[in-house]
Amino acid sequence: MTGGPDLRVRLGSLELLHPVINASGTYDVLAVAGERGLGAVPFSCYVPKTVTPEPRPGNPPPRITETPSGIINAIGLENPGIEAFIADLPRLAGLPVPVIISVGGARPEDYLAVVRRVEERLAGAGVRELPPVAGYELNVSCPNVSAGGLSIGADPGALRELVSAARPLTARLLIAKLTPNVTDIVAPALAAAEAGADAISLINTLKALVLDPVSLRPFLGNRTGGLCGPAIRPIALRMVAEVAASVDLPLIGMGGVTSGQEALEMIACGATAVAVGAATLADPRAPGRIVRELREELAVRSLAGLDDIRGKALRDS
Amino acid sequence: MSAAPDRPDGCGPVGAAVVPCVVAESLVYNDWSLVWIEAPALARVARPGQFVMVAVPGTAFSLRRPLSLHRVRGDRVALLIERRGEGTRRLARLAAGAEVELSGPLGNGFDIESTRSALLVAGGIGVAPLQFLADELRARRIPSWTFVGLRGERQLPLLEALDLPDQTVATEDGTYGIQGTVIAALDVSTAAAAAVETGAVVFGCGPLPMLVALRDWTSVRGLTGYGSLEAHMACGTGACHGCVVATARGYLRVCADGPVLPLEIIRGATAAVGGVP
Repeated sequence: MTGGPDLRVRLGSLELLHPVINASGTYDVLAVAGERGLGAVPFSCYVPKTVTPEPRPGNPPPRITETPSGIINAIGLENPGIEAFIADLPRLAGLPVPVIISVGGARPEDYLAVVRRVEERLAGAGVRELPPVAGYELNVSCPNVSAGGLSIGADPGALRELVSAARPLTARLLIAKLTPNVTDIVAPALAAAEAGADAISLINTLKALVLDPVSLRPFLGNRTGGLCGPAIRPIALRMVAEVAASVDLPLIGMGGVTSGQEALEMIACGATAVAVGAATLADPRAPGRIVRELREELAVRSLAGLDDIRGKALRDS
Repeated sequence: MSAAPDRPDGCGPVGAAVVPCVVAESLVYNDWSLVWIEAPALARVARPGQFVMVAVPGTAFSLRRPLSLHRVRGDRVALLIERRGEGTRRLARLAAGAEVELSGPLGNGFDIESTRSALLVAGGIGVAPLQFLADELRARRIPSWTFVGLRGERQLPLLEALDLPDQTVATEDGTYGIQGTVIAALDVSTAAAAAVETGAVVFGCGPLPMLVALRDWTSVRGLTGYGSLEAHMACGTGACHGCVVATARGYLRVCADGPVLPLEIIRGATAAVGGVP
């Protein structure tokens, strides 16, 4: 790293070289890095696509389309299941950054099963052939089948129970990723914090609908989808600010960040790290550019690090 | 660790890396634009059936558009762009001298190693990758027949942009060539019968219902066939699983598992694979 401002941040026990990480499901380091090797990863931490205990085929197509300043998608958590995920982990061994495993499920037991299985593998033989696993991000936006489809993230009581049950299973970082599809974002954030989460990431996508212009029927195979991209950034900023004002945990802010300036705004609203998703889909160079621009923003403001900026939007002066 | 370099060696790495290029020439044929782009690194390695992700100019935020490589000549690649929405409208307006960002070539492309004769079947803009394939087959002196299905008169100018071997045209409104769909044309054409006689490999590109019909047409005649699929895409590299199609092998990603798939595994749009409630 060349001089200039220090971008290092601390996410609980985890120190990151800079605040920019990937939003789960938007970046596949093996697909993108390819033969160029894993060393070129632009993020300070890698969050693979959400994994569930069993393989999931995902939703019927079409699954994705563009909307004004945004993307709407309904992938349906397609993934090969935890056993295939673990079998594939050694391919990430050369990754120069820590891995945070995104965990999903159709019921609370699913999340616990994934965490248990990963911990078991990490306690087993040949752990040096695996990448450094720093923790888990509980993707609690998935519909909870055992609660009639309401997502755990929209039910503070269920979220509290889930985080409490997951907490004793691991000493690693435990992150709750909140859904914005709630009336009050502070309630689930407080529930996660009280149950022992180390950090909170927000926001996941906003539930939305797009029609086929000719048939006037829902365009996506799943009918509704999740909206992300710059269209939701002001909502994400508001929710990050609200949670930052009420909860004393490091936050991973995300929602439509496409530039260093916008990452800085997320940090000013109280985020410690910033996840980038839609921007990477639109331009594979975006993450590297955002880190560079963030460093430039600090230099222009004659700031040595991010501490003076964090939460600035919440303060009176 | 430092951020990933944008272009480690100039116009170098192909694949997911983004390469800024310059438009050399742009020709308009009614609803289509044929855009020639200076892209030496891409032109060197591109194979018929592969595609590029193209940045939409003049937008603050936009997904790149997946476009088939239509032709390759020297240091230049051609894209054949059909104006459908705002993104393709902007791309179709690219004029000589304009800068445009491409990444690619992406996807698997057509495998022609074991092809002794070929039957190419295009539905509308589906002709885009088949021209590149036809050029390659011609260079290898592999006998080929081409069928192009168009909706009607307004699409006829597209034919001026093409240079296809043994070309038969069908229009749904009957203003040119055989009246009916391209599949109906295959049924009545002696050229198609000749291709079948040689055991031709079938290569199709067009809307999904056309590929499903072509799958059945091909299988009834005991031929091997491949279809190139289109889909709304986000990343273009296999990461997001947004562009999948239902197949006999489950959902496959058009960008990374395709865009060329064996016709026999292609399923209709209403087919679901397991699925989530």
